Amino acid sequence: MFTVELDVYAGPYDLLLKLIMREELEVFEVPLRRLVELYRSTHLAPDLERDTEFADSATALVLLKSRLLSPLLEPAEAGEEAPLLSPEELAGRLKEYLKIRRAAERLADRFKANAGYHPSAVSLPPRRERLAISRGRLLETARRVFSRAPEPQTHHLGPITVTVQELAALIEAALTRGPRSFDEIVSGMDRLRTAVAFAAALSLSSEGRLNLLQSEPLGPITLEPRP
Amino acid sequence: MNAAARIEAILIVSPRPVSLRALSRAADLPEPETREALEELARRYSPESSGVVLRHVAGGYQLATNPACARYVESFREVARPAPLSAAAYEVLATVLYMGPITRGGISAVRGVNSDAVVRSLVDRELLREVGRDEEAPGSPALLDVTEEFLTAAGAEGREDFPPLDELVSAEELERVRERVVRSGREAG
Repeated sequence: MFTVELDVYAGPYDLLLKLIMREELEVFEVPLRRLVELYRSTHLAPDLERDTEFADSATALVLLKSRLLSPLLEPAEAGEEAPLLSPEELAGRLKEYLKIRRAAERLADRFKANAGYHPSAVSLPPRRERLAISRGRLLETARRVFSRAPEPQTHHLGPITVTVQELAALIEAALTRGPRSFDEIVSGMDRLRTAVAFAAALSLSSEGRLNLLQSEPLGPITLEPRP
Repeated sequence: MNAAARIEAILIVSPRPVSLRALSRAADLPEPETREALEELARRYSPESSGVVLRHVAGGYQLATNPACARYVESFREVARPAPLSAAAYEVLATVLYMGPITRGGISAVRGVNSDAVVRSLVDRELLREVGRDEEAPGSPALLDVTEEFLTAAGAEGREDFPPLDELVSAEELERVRERVVRSGREAG
């Protein structure tokens, strides 16, 4: 297993890839050159399959990093060319970013200098304003709660013992020797199986695999296989 | 009971900074007297001689352990300090500190990279919070700002404790960046 030791991460390389893909670790924080150097120093003997796999994933990381670090990150609309920044505009952006970067470094120093303070361990109840909820949010929550459809009662339903697929197969098998009446096919079945068999017959009919014939309303139904 | 004792008693039971006004109200003291009591406590809780110090952070006052004693406190509590934040997290915090309240999209635009995952973790750590919505932007995205926990963690009384953004990078350095980018643009063109 290839294990890496970086400032931002230490552990298996596979997990590093997963963390990047899940956006739990930012790829631009990962020094890719250092990653390649680590791989080369760890695996001195060539192994085509292993090396290819690493090259593949490292290339993906380089592409991902270059895409994320490109100055204009908002993707262009479909069919629209990504607008290019002029060197002056790009310089302007980088200057702003440089200031933020420097501010972040100062902030990191401040956090580090203040990490050793431990306040009273007494726990207090939450502040009143933290328990407050805005009128709009309360109304929205109430709307969701009160408009929710009640859960249907299902305790009277028994476990599923037969499926449409099973009875469709049974009907098709019965029709291999020519047309059959529906009553004949469901003879001996209980109400549930009869109902499911009817649903299966309707399904087969809509798929064009049989014809349903009925000469009069509520009269006997004949199932006729289609060629 | 004298003023300093009252203030001391209130601060010892509060894990969060307490504002001057809240202290005055709770201790039943006028604000000038509360201020004097705080000065007395600051002398008594001097970092040079005391394991407990008086901090003036996040718009209030807080009694906390002296950082010089941190290793002993942490050993006693048997808990490690929270993992330090990543460089990306500090960038997001700096963006919100100097440009907030700002939307997630605004943060990503400043940093040039999608920052949603980092923002999420900072909200979880209570260093950022949503403070409203940008009603003029499509979809009215949430506006984020730094929290009292952020100011406390940074040891800052308020935003004014941080140097102006423009002072952080020298004009010469900015000019060097501009020249380098413009030159490489010409070479590429």
